[in-house]
Amino acid sequence: MIETLEVVKREAQGSWNVGKLRATGYVPAILYGHGEENICLSIRKEAVAALIKHGSKLVSLTGSIKDTALLREVQWDTFGSNVIHLDLARVSQSETVEVTLPVQLHGEIAAAGGGQLRFATHEITIRCPAASIPDHLTVEIAGLQLGASIHVSEVKLPAGATPVTLGSVVVVQVVAPAGSSDDAAAVAVEPELIRKEKADAAAKA
Amino acid sequence: MALMPKRVKHRKSQRGRIKGNATRGNKVVFGEFGLQSLQGGWIRAQTIEAGRIAANQYVRGEGRLYIRIFPDKPISSKPLETRMGKGKGEPEYWVAVVRPGTVLYELAGVTEAQAKVCFARLAAKMPIKVRMVRRRPV
Repeated sequence: MIETLEVVKREAQGSWNVGKLRATGYVPAILYGHGEENICLSIRKEAVAALIKHGSKLVSLTGSIKDTALLREVQWDTFGSNVIHLDLARVSQSETVEVTLPVQLHGEIAAAGGGQLRFATHEITIRCPAASIPDHLTVEIAGLQLGASIHVSEVKLPAGATPVTLGSVVVVQVVAPAGSSDDAAAVAVEPELIRKEKADAAAKA
Repeated sequence: MALMPKRVKHRKSQRGRIKGNATRGNKVVFGEFGLQSLQGGWIRAQTIEAGRIAANQYVRGEGRLYIRIFPDKPISSKPLETRMGKGKGEPEYWVAVVRPGTVLYELAGVTEAQAKVCFARLAAKMPIKVRMVRRRPV
């Protein structure tokens, strides 16, 4: 799904200026690619939050710049609360691009087996035409029995898409519930010293 | 039994300073929910273990708990009623050095409501301020 994003061309550069920009409710961004010059942009914080919430990868830029771009990278602050920068790559609708998409599970596993669902791979990288990038990849887990697993090669991809992540990677599997691990296991009181042998050998010599 | 390294290069370490925020280990990677530290500090191996037990008692059989920190710093102390000097004390316990933003524990295979209750039990054991976080959107 393509989303519209209103952007403003940004003159201010450098961490101090960008910090001031963030304080006014804007997120700094950069547009690059297709052999054209890099353009610094600023986007409203609310628009960025909505874009990330919807999970869209392809954006149509309006305002100072009119172009189509791919959301290449999102930089978060330490606590993962605020977006601090966006990377936008110029892209044409017919171009084939590499994107990482979140995996969403659909359905309920078979309760008869008494298994526990292990969601191993939350993101899959695929190569597909820019016009047909989905927001997420859906994996059907309904009726999955104990011991069964779904690999990347079994995930249904959009038309014209090929997986970049290895096909043998497990996306989801049903495993036997882990037993209690509250028991205290006997372990060494003090760790072994890596240099102990070396020191002993030197002492003997 | 509390966590500790199997092999170490040096038996004793200097105290050090905790500077800045976490730039690694600050994302939820394995599960769907995480417990993130909002302060820096040392977390003892016994505390990590207490947190694990508290969480496992709640999620038993349903979810899976991941511990994202490891106590690799030995803390030494002098025995009681000992005069100063005569060298550094013996290692007493192990701690994990935690910077603000570090994800301490993660939970997978549980609902958000269950994770909230589980992390509330776990947070009560922690010596620093923590909060529950979700996986960041891709």
